[in-house]
Amino acid sequence: MESAEDWLVESLRLYQDFHAFDLSEATRVLEWIDDKGVCVAGYESLKKNEILHLLLPLRLSVKENQGLFPERDFKVRHGGFSDTSVFDLKHVPDTRLLVTSGLPGCHLHVWQVTEDSDVIQAVSTIAVQEEEGSLWPRVAIFSSMAPGVLHGARLRGLKVVDLETQKTTYSSGVGDSEELSSLQVLDADTFAFCCASGRLGLVDIRQKWAPSENAGPGPGAAARRWCAEVGGRRRGPGPSIASLGSDGQLCLLDPRDLCHPVSSGRCPVSAPSPAPELLRVTWAPGLDDCLAISGFDGTVQVYDATSWDGTGGQVEPVFTHRGHIFLEDNQTDTAPLVTTHTWHPHKPRTLLSAASDASLHVWDWVDHRAAC
Amino acid sequence: VCGVNGRFAWLVEGGAGQDVGRSCILVSIGGKNVMLDCGMHMGFNDDRRFPDFSYITRNGRLTDFLDCVIISHFHLDHCGALPYFSEMVGYDGPIYMTHPTQAICPILLEDYRKIAVDKKGEANFFTSQMIKDCMKKVVAVHLHQTVQVDDELEIKAYYAGHVLGAAMFQIKVGSESVVYTGDYNMTPDRHLGAAWIDKCRPNLLITESTYATTIRDSKRCRERDFLKKVHEAVERGGKVLIPVFALGRAQELCILLETFWERMNLKAPIYFSTGLTEKANHYYKLFITWTNQKIRKTFVQRNMFEFKHIKAFDRAFADNPGPMVVFATPGMLHAGQSLQIFRKWAGNEKNMVIMPGYCVQGTVGHKILSGQRKLEMEGRQVLEVKMQVEYMSFSAHADAKGIMQLVGQAEPENVLLVHGEAKKMEFLKQKIEQEFRVSCYMPANGETVTLPTSPSIPVGISLGLLKREMAQGLLPDAKKPRLLHGTLIMKDSNFRLVSSEQALKELGLAEHQLRFTCRVHLHDPRKEQETAMRVYSHLKSVLKEHCVQHLPDGSVTVESILIQAAAHSEDPGTKVLLVSWTYQDEELGSHLTSLLKKGLPQAAS
Repeated sequence: MESAEDWLVESLRLYQDFHAFDLSEATRVLEWIDDKGVCVAGYESLKKNEILHLLLPLRLSVKENQGLFPERDFKVRHGGFSDTSVFDLKHVPDTRLLVTSGLPGCHLHVWQVTEDSDVIQAVSTIAVQEEEGSLWPRVAIFSSMAPGVLHGARLRGLKVVDLETQKTTYSSGVGDSEELSSLQVLDADTFAFCCASGRLGLVDIRQKWAPSENAGPGPGAAARRWCAEVGGRRRGPGPSIASLGSDGQLCLLDPRDLCHPVSSGRCPVSAPSPAPELLRVTWAPGLDDCLAISGFDGTVQVYDATSWDGTGGQVEPVFTHRGHIFLEDNQTDTAPLVTTHTWHPHKPRTLLSAASDASLHVWDWVDHRAAC
Repeated sequence: VCGVNGRFAWLVEGGAGQDVGRSCILVSIGGKNVMLDCGMHMGFNDDRRFPDFSYITRNGRLTDFLDCVIISHFHLDHCGALPYFSEMVGYDGPIYMTHPTQAICPILLEDYRKIAVDKKGEANFFTSQMIKDCMKKVVAVHLHQTVQVDDELEIKAYYAGHVLGAAMFQIKVGSESVVYTGDYNMTPDRHLGAAWIDKCRPNLLITESTYATTIRDSKRCRERDFLKKVHEAVERGGKVLIPVFALGRAQELCILLETFWERMNLKAPIYFSTGLTEKANHYYKLFITWTNQKIRKTFVQRNMFEFKHIKAFDRAFADNPGPMVVFATPGMLHAGQSLQIFRKWAGNEKNMVIMPGYCVQGTVGHKILSGQRKLEMEGRQVLEVKMQVEYMSFSAHADAKGIMQLVGQAEPENVLLVHGEAKKMEFLKQKIEQEFRVSCYMPANGETVTLPTSPSIPVGISLGLLKREMAQGLLPDAKKPRLLHGTLIMKDSNFRLVSSEQALKELGLAEHQLRFTCRVHLHDPRKEQETAMRVYSHLKSVLKEHCVQHLPDGSVTVESILIQAAAHSEDPGTKVLLVSWTYQDEELGSHLTSLLKKGLPQAAS
């Protein structure tokens, strides 16, 4: 426990604030429900999994007089039970509905969160055509008067289904069997996809399939797996798409030219990632050109892309969160692996991260670089 | 309650909301009535702060109705109404609690009385003498010691963690039992460790669920927060006041600061006020005995009362320049040294006060935690509070995960959650029901929950009866039920199974023999002797496992059943079989009769 104590003392300098929680089961999802709560869900295959809607401690929402809000705990506001594992969970904005996806990958499940009870109810299922063993459909939500669920495990199976009528309103219509790694809705008419091979595309659903995309996987790509994220609400021009490879390569791209990355760097991680499906790269909503990555080990790393020379060489994180390694309580042989992370919507340096040992951290890191 | 189906019934009078609530639960089990805790609701200043004891019995005396009272620990929301209950409402029966609780309760009750009466001028409050008289009724218990309240009711205390002396109690009558947790925690802390119970499989587990829908921030992060605040204040040259109750968290915080000061090589002095060191020795003695009892070693043992960096405080030090940290009593800033120091330091915004616990209304602690920054002190003086006010919640309670752990340890048949809001606990209820396959209840204030149980009633069997059954020859088979004839005698809560003869003898009654006779008509023109022979042959071949005999006088016996053939008085072609048996052979007799009514097989020629 020596190292844990040392780290705790060190943490006084590293973090403005730090909370550590133990969930009853590990989660791979962290989905915001407005800015006061998150949803987490279990991903075990042989038992019932819990879906929890957690409210953040009040002190994270107030700016002054934090000392008068002693509560540092999460409140379980709602909970539900899922018979299948949950690998992805999306909130349908402006509704009380959630959509989950996992294995077996032949159904998506729709849930409802009600006001007068704390139980999350299963509402319906959406059948998905894929029948493959270990593939599961990625999910993204088109929010509008009639919300639509974008889903697919492969490019050829990409569809948008109207949530209420369950009718298919869009279909990719291609025969391409490339496996999908992530889907992201950008606005009412466009979405972005990233394939496991690294192929990226932006699709306008008003037209027949004609995505603006990159040329396809580069040399040696077969050995790597990729994920990507498009940053929202950017100020001014510049790269707004980040893609992360399981070998630690991080590329920044401009949506107008997906074939030529604007800049790239190699992250100092133990590559290749032991669980490439868990790779995650995110843009900080409150900081310019700031990214976080996870999925290689028990850390979350924060990068400032403006400090890169962009030529693909080694880059250094401005911050590394090691809490999941040092605060690990269980005496298990395997080191914990960060399964997912997310940024707080408006506190600029606050993140949430979850790991395979069921820990969940909320941390606000201190930027020790020279103040500007 | 006598009979095959035992029943539980209870009234739950809990408090509303977290932190401010009161515990007082009534359990009826096996005909015994037990009151669990007797807490004060500290949010109210009038009679609403006491439980409504008229719920219990409208006109009877509480001493007659209640078999005992059990107090789980010294927090006022669990024992604050005890002197009111025993001395003002009236109860003279035994009050059970652990030794440390017995030692500490009166101190806190007296403190509280002083605040209520002296500071707030309340009337209709219990007096110091009442506290003393109440404590005379206390019977102290040790952990894991089975205490016989009477010859049917027994109780046993288990380690609960939470605070010094806190216990969970098992209440047992015959084969029925209830476990009441009081407040407990399942994650070990630095000086008290975690609660523990064996697989006692009670019919019902009553657990605190104030934090049931909470996932608690880790102890390390809370400690980190405390250290960070202290460090920041000290770094800017400020003074930190930590008002503490003499008994409890103070030690834990001292260990923390000392470890930290050592690691960071800090020089600012840390002081422990003198009142604290005296009480700390007393506390230490209680603590050593309490934690030496059979509990799991879930925490690091060290002598927590020897500190290298922490020194005794002298009131003159409060005026010394530069940063320092002071632990002082009392904890709610309502009097004494902590209040004196507070008054000196309140005006400087570099300074800080960290309140480590709940403060009762009317105290300075409560006022500043409510955000008040101008306080009226004695002599109409107004104190402006510019120092930083922080509140750290270090209380150790079980959250959702902890409750699940305890249920897993005790393996109850049913679970009851108290102190939560039903609407917000449906998920936990389902979780418990699914995971452990038990029923889970969440009664509201004043609601009664009834649980059926099937108690096993022990019955003594007489040796004579046992021997007789064994003599019948058939070996006992663990998997097959064996039919036994005997008489059950219930006398003085004692159940005995004896042979009928013995019962008759004991009761001074003569035995009556019941004999049945049945007539079966058979068409048979032959003589009676031949009919009897036919009956004999037929029965001999059909009833192979019974002893069938043909007596010299012509009658046939099957075991002890007698069959005689006679000619019909009016119709020589018909024979009448008289079948006669005793009550004991009813089954065979009926069977024989139906068999004979079917007629005899035609004789082979």
